[in-house]
Amino acid sequence: MSKVIKNNLAIEARGLVKRFGEDILAVDGVDLAIESNTIYALLGPNGAGKTTTINMLTTLLEPTEGTANVAGFDIVKQANDVRSSIGVTFQETTLDNELTGVQTLDYHARLYGMSKDQRQTKIAELLALVELEDAANRAISTYSGGMKRRLELIRGLMTDPNVLFLDEPTLGLDPQSRARIGDYIVELKEDRGMSVLLTTHYMDEAEQLADKVAIIDHGKILIEGTPSELVDQMGADVITIAGQGNKDDFIEKVNDLSCCETITTGNGIIQIGVDAGSRRLVEIISLANETDFTVEDISVAKPSLGDVFLKYTGRQFRD
Amino acid sequence: MSAAITLWNKQMMKSLRNTEEMIGMLIQPVLWVVLFGVGMGSLLGPAMPGGDDFYISFMLPGIIALTASGGAIGGGSVWLMERIQGIVKEYLAAPIPRLSILMGNALSIVTKALLQSIVILIVGVIVGANISTNPLGWLGGLALVAGFALGFAGIAIMFASNTDNPGAYHMMIMLFNLPLLFLSNALYPLETMPTWMRIGALINPTTYVVTGLRYTLLDVDPNLVQVETIPLWLCFLAIAIFACLGMWLGYRAFKKSLK
Repeated sequence: MSKVIKNNLAIEARGLVKRFGEDILAVDGVDLAIESNTIYALLGPNGAGKTTTINMLTTLLEPTEGTANVAGFDIVKQANDVRSSIGVTFQETTLDNELTGVQTLDYHARLYGMSKDQRQTKIAELLALVELEDAANRAISTYSGGMKRRLELIRGLMTDPNVLFLDEPTLGLDPQSRARIGDYIVELKEDRGMSVLLTTHYMDEAEQLADKVAIIDHGKILIEGTPSELVDQMGADVITIAGQGNKDDFIEKVNDLSCCETITTGNGIIQIGVDAGSRRLVEIISLANETDFTVEDISVAKPSLGDVFLKYTGRQFRD
Repeated sequence: MSAAITLWNKQMMKSLRNTEEMIGMLIQPVLWVVLFGVGMGSLLGPAMPGGDDFYISFMLPGIIALTASGGAIGGGSVWLMERIQGIVKEYLAAPIPRLSILMGNALSIVTKALLQSIVILIVGVIVGANISTNPLGWLGGLALVAGFALGFAGIAIMFASNTDNPGAYHMMIMLFNLPLLFLSNALYPLETMPTWMRIGALINPTTYVVTGLRYTLLDVDPNLVQVETIPLWLCFLAIAIFACLGMWLGYRAFKKSLK
């Protein structure tokens, strides 16, 4: 039941810009080409423009400049067709606590014009998918955070969308719930042929789930690629140093070494991509001693998407 | 339109299941009629040309208007909470017209206002008001209440779309609501007002819904309730304009809040 979309792009954006008033430039020329039947993760610090981008692609906001097609439809001229083709889970919970789980799904599907039979079948199927059958007729006010998130996820699936938008689907959940939601997302892609655009605060999640990742900051996409492409460019190992003193002098010295592929500084953290971590450790510490820089913390690790993120945004990811 | 009905259905279901809301909705107008109506009536009644029960009949349409505007304020507050909680986003992402989102809310306000009006009329009869037995009169009266509630719902939605703060919303809407009640002929006749107040009352939609209800719902001598200064057709026209204007203001503010 794979869904075929024109020119095989689930989402295509060209030069999307969103301004709020005169001063705020939330999204500054975003281009996207997301193939159908893929999971695409947008990574970025708070205020990077992720949610504004999603709000434009889901037709909640009109772009100031640029155009985009979602599921083959123009987000401004064919907004209603886009709305019929997508499912959305917003960053903040948008559930009505006074309704039960079943009522939430039912009213949602009624807005999309589904018949009573269709609704009943779909509700039963999806409640089983996320194991919410037992809580189905309880008021949402009695649900845990993880249950609410699962309910919101299947609400977005009620109408069998071609493209699913998930804005921080696992924010604030315990590791167990996160892992479960992650599994569902992969299932949706593999079994139902959906295309998924998600944003996340969890690097490991993006690394595990996403076929492609883009890092976004200040409203611009800084780099895009598969998780392994992005990680590989960091070098074989990453040495991360925190310390005090004459940082500039130290960095300059490290830059002179032939072994060191990348240097990043952000929030006082220095990150060095090297060919072989444990061998270069001594060398780098002795450089610190030569300069006026005191190392307070040093670690060697295989690079992760988090290191890529730090390199491009100059900010460390908090999870 | 089917989307508006779905959202109306959702609001009504929530209200009907909320026992406190239902009790409050039914008790509040009863308290007005019984405590204020009977109290004021016993003070003014003997002095009034229509006799002891006259004041109850006189003020009943005012209580209906007050209740309808109170219901609209509550509906605006539901709207505000749905905006704050992000529930409106779910509607916005659905393939439904923007106006239907607004209409769903407004229709539930109108429905509740009509139910409350009927309760008020029944209580009114019990405490001695002279209510018309003409079904056409009732139909016309309920149409006026629906139009007034719709217009007020639009204004409440306008206030609720312009703020993210429930306290600020209630402050603004109360400031707006008070003169609408007291600067009208709901509680005292137009004739006895000073000129400045009468001018205020004549540009106030409450005056037209109240006057129209006195024509249509009451079974008392029209001269006694002093409706002759405003003809019935003007009441319907004014309320129709008010309903459209209110909805337009609400829709405009809602659209602006989406930018």
